Amino acid sequence: MSACFVLSLSAVLLPLLVLFGLKFGIIGNLLEPIKQDPRYLQILPAGSGSYGPDWFEAMSARSDVAFIVPRTRAIAATMRLRAQDTDTGRIINVELIPSATGDPVLNGLEPPQGYETVALSKDAADKLGVSAGDTLEGILSRTLGGEQQTELLPLTVTAVASAAAFARDGMFVSNDLLVAVEDFRDGRSVGALGWSGATATEGPRYFAGFRLYARSIDDVAGLRDGLMKQGIDVRSRLADIELVQSLDRNLSIVFWIIAGIAAVGYGLAFGSSVWANIDRKRRDFSVLRLTGFRTRGIVWFPILQAMLTGVLGWLVAALAYFVVQAALNSLFADNVGGASVCRLLPVHFIASLVLTLAAASIAAALGGRRLARLEPSLALREA
Amino acid sequence: MPGAKLAFIGESGSGKSTLLELLAMILRPTESDVFSFCPRSQDDNHDIVAAWQAEDVDLLSDLRSRHIGYVLQYGGLLPYLTVRENINLSWRLLHGPGEDVAEHWATRLRIAAQLDKRPAELSVGQRQRVAIARALAHNPTVLIADEPTAAIDPLNAERIMELMVGLVDELGVTLIVASHAHQLMQRAGLSMIDHRIDASDPKSMRVTVSYAA
Repeated sequence: MSACFVLSLSAVLLPLLVLFGLKFGIIGNLLEPIKQDPRYLQILPAGSGSYGPDWFEAMSARSDVAFIVPRTRAIAATMRLRAQDTDTGRIINVELIPSATGDPVLNGLEPPQGYETVALSKDAADKLGVSAGDTLEGILSRTLGGEQQTELLPLTVTAVASAAAFARDGMFVSNDLLVAVEDFRDGRSVGALGWSGATATEGPRYFAGFRLYARSIDDVAGLRDGLMKQGIDVRSRLADIELVQSLDRNLSIVFWIIAGIAAVGYGLAFGSSVWANIDRKRRDFSVLRLTGFRTRGIVWFPILQAMLTGVLGWLVAALAYFVVQAALNSLFADNVGGASVCRLLPVHFIASLVLTLAAASIAAALGGRRLARLEPSLALREA
Repeated sequence: MPGAKLAFIGESGSGKSTLLELLAMILRPTESDVFSFCPRSQDDNHDIVAAWQAEDVDLLSDLRSRHIGYVLQYGGLLPYLTVRENINLSWRLLHGPGEDVAEHWATRLRIAAQLDKRPAELSVGQRQRVAIARALAHNPTVLIADEPTAAIDPLNAERIMELMVGLVDELGVTLIVASHAHQLMQRAGLSMIDHRIDASDPKSMRVTVSYAA
């Protein structure tokens, strides 16, 4: 067992690592964003309904629900905005989107809170010429008893969502602000903001709709069926999801078949070289036994040697893999928008090491057993 | 027979190697009446047949490492070890690493200049000297040599036999040699031994040894 053996071992292992790297890179980094895309995860109510706090609580407790917030009537959920510190003086009308911590559309951006902070869609922020940290003035108007009433509301922009998140003029607001706006439109008072009007109705509040996102694309079908069973008509993108799912599944199957064959081949190739190496040493083992070494002691020797070779070969292959990975990723960087096409997790390296050591130890143990059973005199006569 | 110097003479295929391997306890006898190994005295008695039957190969290994030095026809040196390491091998198996006995034996066998070479760099004669040094380095009771000079030119063969016999005489080691070179053995002062093989059933070879002191 020599440097040649170590190199031949890593030469067989390297393509296997690269293959796995591509599998996890392509499926993991190219399909995963699609699978995480909120547009696929969203389930929209088809019409207007009436959903109380109990229903929202029950829904948010479900394990297949990633995010759910109440939505007020669409007609009430708008606001006019004016930027405070810019010269544009432009006033735009935005849709109010209820949001909270964990909103998949905001994708980790700071969620709006209370009556003061909001997040804007890209379009709205561009039109107003504001960015995160700027202040806005919200303008709300209603006609109450034939009289035009206007309230001004100071707001701070905490985040601007990506263009993909929401393609129209929109403002992400907290549930508090959304409810306040609906109350104002409906002619009721909002104590917290000092807005006058009719006394708010007692009892639990009911909402016309909801924003609902499934935990994963695999949960969408079950979630939709559950809602349908409750008599709630919903829209989802199940057809697109099934396409992604079958692509993921089929790609995985193809990769696993290739990888399975490669792994078995690698195990056999390495195992048989270990075996052959032990067999070549029969004469030396016989000499050692003739000198008086105990059989058990010298059989350990090829096993440890095979293990050492395996670890060294694996190490060389892993180092070479990183070079290949870097080359592949820089080669395809433009095509995939910066995501890596080739990628391995630590667990994959450990798995490949375990496979290597398993193949080495099985082959070495078999070869060693053969050596131990060999009459030392037989090999001595092989000149 | 401590200090005896015996030679089995015969053509190849006559069973010399088989006999030596049986004596060296590396070949399992298919059938045996009596085979006991008494390295020091009649009281220090090991029943080899019983050990084989009990699969007590560790006992046989220990006896080999303690009492037997074996010289093969082609040296049987380990190619990846130097001459020094090869000679030290048998001694260190018994006493552990540390002391270097190779210098002493290499000087005795006149191969001191080759100590740090590998076997592949040596001539056949030099390799045999290394093999003899290794076989003697752990102070065995018996030195067994299977055709030790068959691969060497006659002049060298004579010198090596002289060296080997000189050493075993000095150390009081029993020498058992198998060879087809009758005259060479006679000149070296070895006693000839008859061994007879019952060839009627080749599958169960039977060896009868007779020795006239």
